[in-house]
Amino acid sequence: MMESFFQVNERCTGCLACVQNCPARALDYRDEGDTRTLLHNMARCARCATCWRVCPEDAIEFQHLLVNRWDEVVRLPLLRCAVCGDPVHTARLPEALDESVRELTEPPLCDRHRARHHGRTQALALAGATKTRPGSTS
Amino acid sequence: MIVGDLKPMDEIAASIAGFEKLLVLGCGGCVTVCRAGGDAEAHDLARELAHPRHHAGRPPELVVQTIERQCEHDLLEKYLELPEGTDAILSLACGAGVQIVADVFEPLPVIPALSTTFIGGADEPGVWREKCQGCGDCLLATTAGICPIALCAKRLLNGPCGGSQDGRCEVNPDTPCAWARIHDRLEAQGRLELMDEFRPPRDWRKAGARVPRERRRTGIELR
Repeated sequence: MMESFFQVNERCTGCLACVQNCPARALDYRDEGDTRTLLHNMARCARCATCWRVCPEDAIEFQHLLVNRWDEVVRLPLLRCAVCGDPVHTARLPEALDESVRELTEPPLCDRHRARHHGRTQALALAGATKTRPGSTS
Repeated sequence: MIVGDLKPMDEIAASIAGFEKLLVLGCGGCVTVCRAGGDAEAHDLARELAHPRHHAGRPPELVVQTIERQCEHDLLEKYLELPEGTDAILSLACGAGVQIVADVFEPLPVIPALSTTFIGGADEPGVWREKCQGCGDCLLATTAGICPIALCAKRLLNGPCGGSQDGRCEVNPDTPCAWARIHDRLEAQGRLELMDEFRPPRDWRKAGARVPRERRRTGIELR
């Protein structure tokens, strides 16, 4: 389980001052059996620090709500340029494209090598057309 | 943040008279933090308005919801679902939020439960004070981070005036003179020469004389 942004230290007495004073209703608690559990809802939290101000025990480690952390969201297979190996796009991307343009993603090429590739393809096509042109002497 | 005040209960009750089912809509932004229009206040308001003493006839049905920000069209369009049979929205957002909710759900009537008061900050827990009037031409760089437009009763650009007495304002002696504060802080910063810098009359069109103001940022294309 990912570590919560809202953390308290060992001084927390479960007095619920933070729960009662949270303007965003981002804190709650659950009493089950012989255990009181403090709950935090990051989607509701306005990070206004009212909890930190009102805590009589100085138990709220608010710095965790200010931490500049990147959470990993999703991992997807990545395709790299067939020529230079630079990242191009994910393997999922072509599936989302219309059939008419999907073939342009084959082979996977970065912008630089795609331009060269298509230039060569066009040149070859043009050369082929020249060769087959009726009356051509080449 | 934008600070607002809940309107008097009589005024709110009068403005919702005749509606049968209202969505009481809290805003999760500024007005949550200044404790005027968040989820807690929306529930408190609905609880109070449910009382028959506020209504000539039967009290309306009140459903409470809160959305992260009411000031964004697409967020509302995508994520705010109106309860079936809603015939008006009672919004606890600032004036911007109320108007955007009204645009998104037109022609549904949208009624403000707050009066938007100012752009301010919390100087101490539970005390919000005006800091900025959104004049569109910030001069805080030369006034030691103290705004004379918002904090001087005369909005003087070249203060203090003769009414500044012992660091107090003649308009309200309980109020510190903004220009006395600017002077003292510039002195502490070793930048007192800025007090002698003449600030010419401003182009007040930037302050909203040509309303409504708009800002466009490039590079934010519609998806």
